[in-house]
Amino acid sequence: MATRAPATARAPRRGSTRDGESRAGWLFISPALIIVGVFLIAPIVLALWVSFTDWNGRNSPLFNDNVDVIGLDNYAAITTDDRLTRDLFGRAIRNNLFYVLLVVPLQTALALFLAVQVNRRLLKAKGFFRTAFYFPSVTSSIAITGVFLFLFQASGAVNAVLAWLQVDGPNWMADPRGIVHVVIGAFGGGEPGGWDAPGFLGVSAWEWAAGPSVAQLVLIVMAVFTTSGTFMLLFLAGLQSIGAEVGEAALMDGANARQSFFNVTLPMLRPVLFTVLTLGLIGTWQVFDQVYLTRGTPAAATLTSPAYMAYDQAFTENEPGIAAAIAFVLFLIIIAFSLLQRFVLCDRDEPSRPLLRRRGPRTIASADGGVAQGTARLRAGPTERGTGG
Amino acid sequence: MTLRRRQGRALQIAGVAGVAALALAGCSGGGGGGGDDAEALQVLIGTSGDAETEAVQAAVDAWTEESGVPVEVVVASDLGQELAQGFAGDIPPDLFYMSWDQFQTYAADDYLEPYAAGLDNAGDFYPALADTFSYDGELVCDPKDFSTLGLVINTDLWAAAGLTDADVPTDWDQLASVAQRLTTGDTVGLSMGAEYARVGVFMEQAGGGLLTDDEVTADSPENVEALTYLQGLLSAGSLAWPTDLGAGWGGEAFGNGQAAMVIEGPWISGALENDFPDVQYTVAELPAGPSGQGTFTFSNCWGIPEGADTADDATSLVEFLTSDEQQLAFSDAFGVIPSTETAAATYAETYPESAAFVAGAEYAVSPIAFPGASEVVGEFNTVVPTLATADPQEILATLQGQLEDAYSEVE
Amino acid sequence: MRQRLSAGLVAGYVVLVLLAVAYLYPFLISVASSFKTDGEAVAEPLSLIPQTPTFAAYERLFTGTDIGLWGVNSVFVTLCVTLGRVFFDSLAGYALSRLRFRGRSAMFGLFIGVMAVPTVVLMVPRFLVLKELALYDTYAGMIIPLLADAAGIFIMKQFFDSIPVSIEEAARIDGAGVFRTFWSVTLPMAAPALVTLTILSFQGSWNEFAHFVVSRQSPELNTLTTGVASLVSGQLGSGSQFPLKLAAAVLMTIPVALVFFVFQRRIMSTTEGGEKG
Repeated sequence: MATRAPATARAPRRGSTRDGESRAGWLFISPALIIVGVFLIAPIVLALWVSFTDWNGRNSPLFNDNVDVIGLDNYAAITTDDRLTRDLFGRAIRNNLFYVLLVVPLQTALALFLAVQVNRRLLKAKGFFRTAFYFPSVTSSIAITGVFLFLFQASGAVNAVLAWLQVDGPNWMADPRGIVHVVIGAFGGGEPGGWDAPGFLGVSAWEWAAGPSVAQLVLIVMAVFTTSGTFMLLFLAGLQSIGAEVGEAALMDGANARQSFFNVTLPMLRPVLFTVLTLGLIGTWQVFDQVYLTRGTPAAATLTSPAYMAYDQAFTENEPGIAAAIAFVLFLIIIAFSLLQRFVLCDRDEPSRPLLRRRGPRTIASADGGVAQGTARLRAGPTERGTGG
Repeated sequence: MTLRRRQGRALQIAGVAGVAALALAGCSGGGGGGGDDAEALQVLIGTSGDAETEAVQAAVDAWTEESGVPVEVVVASDLGQELAQGFAGDIPPDLFYMSWDQFQTYAADDYLEPYAAGLDNAGDFYPALADTFSYDGELVCDPKDFSTLGLVINTDLWAAAGLTDADVPTDWDQLASVAQRLTTGDTVGLSMGAEYARVGVFMEQAGGGLLTDDEVTADSPENVEALTYLQGLLSAGSLAWPTDLGAGWGGEAFGNGQAAMVIEGPWISGALENDFPDVQYTVAELPAGPSGQGTFTFSNCWGIPEGADTADDATSLVEFLTSDEQQLAFSDAFGVIPSTETAAATYAETYPESAAFVAGAEYAVSPIAFPGASEVVGEFNTVVPTLATADPQEILATLQGQLEDAYSEVE
Repeated sequence: MRQRLSAGLVAGYVVLVLLAVAYLYPFLISVASSFKTDGEAVAEPLSLIPQTPTFAAYERLFTGTDIGLWGVNSVFVTLCVTLGRVFFDSLAGYALSRLRFRGRSAMFGLFIGVMAVPTVVLMVPRFLVLKELALYDTYAGMIIPLLADAAGIFIMKQFFDSIPVSIEEAARIDGAGVFRTFWSVTLPMAAPALVTLTILSFQGSWNEFAHFVVSRQSPELNTLTTGVASLVSGQLGSGSQFPLKLAAAVLMTIPVALVFFVFQRRIMSTTEGGEKG
């Protein structure tokens, strides 16, 4: 080796550096690449295969004589077959839809409100408030669910507080009634004729219009409680990058303040808003932990989600094919909602700004950094249902 | 050159570090599954409490002494889920409690080794139990023990309501009237879990049932009558579900004094002894309905995974565990009724207070359990809590359709 | 003007204090109730001071369950995952930020794409892969899939992007190799991002639940999340036992709470990680 180097030292060295860099580059990313490949991409491919077969969960789904390709049967079982499994899937979609429709706006609005409040220049004890609002975000969903089941039991803390206010609280976790039904019932209304016929995905129009069940409200409150802190931080970063004065001015005098907030601050926060809504949509469509933990409660049928149903089909009904099909349908739903939200929120000025392209090196509000930060934070806290990776 | 060599070394370090980290994670694996001793038979049980765990452990230890085969007893926190995941992961336990409601599903998927028919004691079990654990007319696994449902009565509350032994209800009307008398401000007369496994006994007593001679009969007039009767109790306020009382299950509502009577099985005695030792109670047979007496029998069998290498050892362990002597030891420890007719007779003599449960075995039937039924029953169980305001006819019509779908798949 | 400002301020404080109480009270109640008897926890759900303080719930927790073992497993898994993830994420983030190699932008696109895949969707599929690789129901199966995450790689890349290249170049001219430069020059400068990533990885793996549900089944491999989950979801015959469940919830929250309070400034800093520059 020593003999080769001398004469042409300069050129080869540069070459070797580049070679070395190239080798180093691949070597450096290879552990992450292997993990992503084996535990993210391979599962997707394997699950796609399983979703087209009648594999019953015994032995391997590959190279197995007992496994037949059955085309789209597993997808039909959850969409078009007029059977219980389809109805359960329809109900899981309905439940999850109400969960998303309530949690996402509530957590976003609350987080924004908290961020504006704790960003006020004149506020004392800022640190305390930020800590208080963020703390739930670092706990585990298991612990929080245990706590909430305690708070919301029939004679629990929440009903005790409601009793002070002369309100007779419901037996939360045992109440499967949809809140829209409850409200209609309170005004003496009932089901309009013909609304009980099985509709889309086997769920009747009356059930589609039921709203979240009383029991699900508990999970909704819990989700807002545990995520608003994380999103507050994202908004706070955004507010600080625009400059606190805007927010401060906004607080100072009534009508103008509100106007300036909605006309000036909010538009400037749009990238953060985009991030928060995206993360919220993705996270709420994946609700699993709380559903799993409450599967034994009386109103469990109104709490299910597609993610939980996929688990249930795979592990208790011995239907891995249906489970994989549910996983893919869920995947499509999440993508569809993200695209829809992006379409609605995107300005004409930047019609096709890719989700993750950087805007400027230091813009905290840039969507990509926010997404990464938010994803990591959510994954660390009780909202993220999924496995890392 | 030096640069290059250094780079090479650095790359090696990076590579080695990466591999080492993976290896670290890798070599730490392998701790699961077989436990400490790979040779040990793994027995997965769902336990009703420490008493049961200890009794099984003691029995298994005795067998190990005899056979020299080590055994590890694993207590499942959720038996159904852990068993299903074990089979899905191809590492099922060597021997396990197989519950009545999942048995047909597992047998139909060829998950179970059909070892039982060939054993000497195959004819000793209660016929209803042997039926429960047969697939295609052949006994697959040995029933472990069994339980029936009875009417558990709080004797203090009973006396306080001015009732005597003569008032123990023997038919639906009497049940309704004593339940009403026992209902006071803080206490309901009767409670039971809001599920098919309780509500279904009223269908039996009415002469109905979900399946009659290979035909789904969920929407029969008898079943409607049963649900309508319960609906009447609910609206009279003399029947309430445990969850409506803020209790986790019937036994807790009973122990707390929130319910004066509950419909539960022999397992309630252990729970009461542990958590509510002061509660005085007696057990009666369930009152008869329009068509006579009826109750459910629940049981587990000792399941062995199909084709397991350890099946011979596991089978011999099962023979040991299902012997009359061993079953009576289990009865002593945690109150279950032996699965053989001879041992059950001895049990009834030894424990007169539980005689009502044994008496129920005469006319008890198994709840429906064909493959796919558990999903439908699970769905029915979500509807039962709404019975107070729902239309029984409608509930049963829905159930009929779902059960027919599931049953058609079996045939 | 002044007056209006202070009126607004007072109203603001009232709202904020009420909200803070709503956010913190659940935790205070949980701690208090874990020292109550079963009966008192149900009868006096709001009181913060147990009438007859008792350690009964904690005793039952340590004698009646395997919580010690769960804790050991949680610590072990969390340490492995945190160390591995910080190391692998930094390596990959550095490569994507600094090293020029063919396919780099494709790799970057891949990791970004992966970040968008909903992880719950992968639960069942990942179980299938673990089973095929014979990693199911082992520590390795619980740990390895969590060892790298796209969000962490992204945070590290962002941070490395913000560090001037000049210092590194000086080191390289001095003859340091790629790994050496990365390890002893660049990485120390990335300390803030490393701390952030460490904290988030620690929390993430400590609180991880879904993956441990599908990657193991043996009771010996229960972590605090899966073990306590079996307590919380409750089984027939176990009754409500709120103090027991709350005691378990309190115990499993202590480590993350400690990390949170120790690194509070770091965690609450809104200008952290790759965004610092």
